[in-house]
Amino acid sequence: MTAFQIFLIAALAAVGVTLVALALRGAIGRVAALLWLAVVSAGIVFAVAPNLTTVIARAIGISRGTDLLLYLLVLVVLYGFLAIYLKLRRVRRELTLLVRELAIREASAGRGEPRGEGEPRGEGAPAGNREPGGGRTT
Amino acid sequence: MAETAVSIDRSVALGTWVVIPVFNEAVVIARVVRELREVFPNVVCVDDGSGDGSWEAVRAATPHALRHLVNRGQGAALQTGTAYALRRGAERIAHFDADGQHRVEDLARMVRCVADGDCDIALGDRFGGDVTRVPAGRRLLLRCAVAFHRVASGIALNDVHNGLRVLSRPAAERIELTADRMAHASEIIDLIARSGLRVRQVPVTIDYTDYSRAKGQHWTGGFRIMFHYLVGRALG
Repeated sequence: MTAFQIFLIAALAAVGVTLVALALRGAIGRVAALLWLAVVSAGIVFAVAPNLTTVIARAIGISRGTDLLLYLLVLVVLYGFLAIYLKLRRVRRELTLLVRELAIREASAGRGEPRGEGEPRGEGAPAGNREPGGGRTT
Repeated sequence: MAETAVSIDRSVALGTWVVIPVFNEAVVIARVVRELREVFPNVVCVDDGSGDGSWEAVRAATPHALRHLVNRGQGAALQTGTAYALRRGAERIAHFDADGQHRVEDLARMVRCVADGDCDIALGDRFGGDVTRVPAGRRLLLRCAVAFHRVASGIALNDVHNGLRVLSRPAAERIELTADRMAHASEIIDLIARSGLRVRQVPVTIDYTDYSRAKGQHWTGGFRIMFHYLVGRALG
């Protein structure tokens, strides 16, 4: 066993222990924890027996085990980017709605909400009556 | 700017709330708002997280000063101002640019068009009159945008991405902008095309100053806007 194999196994095992600890504390869901543990376990198996990846790759028509891992990695990374992008879009949208509501509330609070209701609605009183003047509290 | 007597019915002017998105326009915003309020008293300025004293200028210029604590883009600012004005009972919503490129008398003509019931939405059309006033590079870029929308939105307009618009209250209630940045101008065209609202294009003059041109879009921005617009459409 090479030094790198030992390092890899230790690192993966550390990730596994962390996952278990997080799951026990309820920080991550059980299903998610089990899925990640499966990935980590597979990693340890492949670290111990690197040729296994080639055996699996050959079975599905890919010549090298490292190629198989590369293709899987590309899929996972692409999916990850898309998922994060969609999440970011949603968060941005929510941020906009929040900032909007704050802006409207701040402006309305400055002059006391009652004035807002049914304001101009086009009846022809002079503008001077409508403008709050010193309405803002500062 | 022009001391032209802008004639508009007082009640029509009062029912019209003018929304101005403001982002780092401290130099010009006070003058723009002052001229506007001589005709349209209800001016809503939405400071979109400026860092140059625009907020102070805006607060001094109009009682309807709103502030985005975080910059969210022009589309988001327009929608904020619109939501605010609708809550306060606006009968019409107008969009106006902060940089002084629009004329109050143009806006007044568009407002009359909506107030008279000739249309639900009036859009400013800078190609409706003397086209030579539009810088050549700008003209080419905008012609491309127009052609793009003829295909993408299925609506034939003379001018797109013109910041001057007037919407009746029902139209403003139906059109909710979700494209936070500059792609809102494309989004609004889609929404109009799908809504079946009656649109009228009104010839307007854009005063291209060094200031407004410096603040305006570089031609590469057109591609960014198109990208945001297409992503927005694809993802809904």
